[in-house]
Amino acid sequence: MIDKLYKTFVDATHNVFKLMLNISDISDHPADDFKSDETVDIAIGIVGDLKGEVIYRFPVSTSLNMVNIMSGMQFEEVDVFVTSAISEIANIISGNVLTALSEDMKCDILPPEQYKRGEEDKDYEIKTSSCISTTIGEICLEIGLNRAS
Amino acid sequence: MLWKDEYELGVPVIDAQHKELFRRVESFLQVLRSKDRWEDKIPQINETLEFMKRYVVEHFRDEEEYQKSINYPGYKYHKQIHDDMVQYVQEVSKQYEQSSDNEDLMQQFGGRLLAWLINHVAAEDQLIADYAKKKGMSGNDR
Repeated sequence: MIDKLYKTFVDATHNVFKLMLNISDISDHPADDFKSDETVDIAIGIVGDLKGEVIYRFPVSTSLNMVNIMSGMQFEEVDVFVTSAISEIANIISGNVLTALSEDMKCDILPPEQYKRGEEDKDYEIKTSSCISTTIGEICLEIGLNRAS
Repeated sequence: MLWKDEYELGVPVIDAQHKELFRRVESFLQVLRSKDRWEDKIPQINETLEFMKRYVVEHFRDEEEYQKSINYPGYKYHKQIHDDMVQYVQEVSKQYEQSSDNEDLMQQFGGRLLAWLINHVAAEDQLIADYAKKKGMSGNDR
């Protein structure tokens, strides 16, 4: 289950980067290697057969690069616009993952929310994380889910 | 430029509407992100919001008619995505009318609209073109 979830998230991120940003050169590696002081953290809640959340950690430079490519404009700091665009991308990736897994499980996603670091770590039955490297920067995914009882 | 030729579906009416949507969104973003005072941007922001409310509904209707005409199997799912976006535009518009300090609301709307539109046209709508092409009905060779 963990391997399948991990792979589906990596594949969905790959597809979204390819279609929306025209970036195909993507690889994944353990999240332990992820180093970034400043990140835009977006949490997507998951409800249904699995319950929990996925936290997308976008370093500031990755966030700005993504919005610059999409808009063709030059953004130099993370503001409400950038956070909203990045949140929508996290929403799109998560939606694509659940569609890909819909034959195995029925789940829905909740609207994206900015995640505040420092909150108490929650205990999850299924816990995995991944760091995805692209030509415009890295992204870290932290997946924490419980099976619905 | 926001629009890219690879977004073309090969259905002239829909492609023309997509180009118009991208053109309007691009000009909306330029106003939204300009260094001008917020008060000076309001007339064009209002105009775009009114356009979006009207044009998005019109375009989605035409696109859905096309999907029905080719018996597109993903019609129901695609229509739900359209309905959700129409509802979002209407909600934002209502909040905008009721709020006095609405720059953040519009910045938030602009960011989401940008990502949503690119994904919708570059990914979701291309599935329609792929289906039409497979059935030998229309769609560009990609």
